[in-house]
Amino acid sequence: MSERQVIDARGAFCPGPLMELIAALRHAAIGDELEVWSTDKGSAADIPAWIKKVHHELVSINEADGHWSIVIRKAK
Amino acid sequence: MAGAPLYILVCSGEHEKLQMAAMMASVGAVSERPVEVFVSMNAIFAFARDATPDRRYRGDAFSQLMKDKHAPDVLVLLRQGKEFGDLKIWACSMALDVAGLEMDHLVEELFDGPLGLTKFLSDAEAGQLVTL
Repeated sequence: MSERQVIDARGAFCPGPLMELIAALRHAAIGDELEVWSTDKGSAADIPAWIKKVHHELVSINEADGHWSIVIRKAK
Repeated sequence: MAGAPLYILVCSGEHEKLQMAAMMASVGAVSERPVEVFVSMNAIFAFARDATPDRRYRGDAFSQLMKDKHAPDVLVLLRQGKEFGDLKIWACSMALDVAGLEMDHLVEELFDGPLGLTKFLSDAEAGQLVTL
């Protein structure tokens, strides 16, 4: 597994953070973890819902320093 | 498993409605739902190839807020939906005829072609239809 990639989508409006995550996922390998930072209030529910819908894995979700940090593992 | 197809019929040229259409289309497509967008009436003018941003996106107070705060651009969202998911975008053949437009008057590499309402509605029986 490669080093966890951070996608800094702070300041982007919905659905920007999700789109940035998806763009990065396309270049990741199965098993890789990506961490997306978002100040969009909807991301805390939207991104986990998307992860569940398309069958990736939600590793963690936290709010700190004024933004959400959502970690995803690419599962397919 | 793919979700039920989503069909979005866009008639309004208002920026706010175009934005919602693009958001629904892109998020639906990246969520493994086949999505088709049918662009008609005043909405067709927002996709003119030579339109400036001010001409392309006309709206009310929320439109101005989205411009000021750099909300994701409608065309960018639609292109992301096509790149990351199953999204087709059709130009209403009636709107093209009435407006005197050809496909090459519309923004490049976005539309899948002209389409009639009858075919779009027939296809939409298989899924969920939203009109904006």
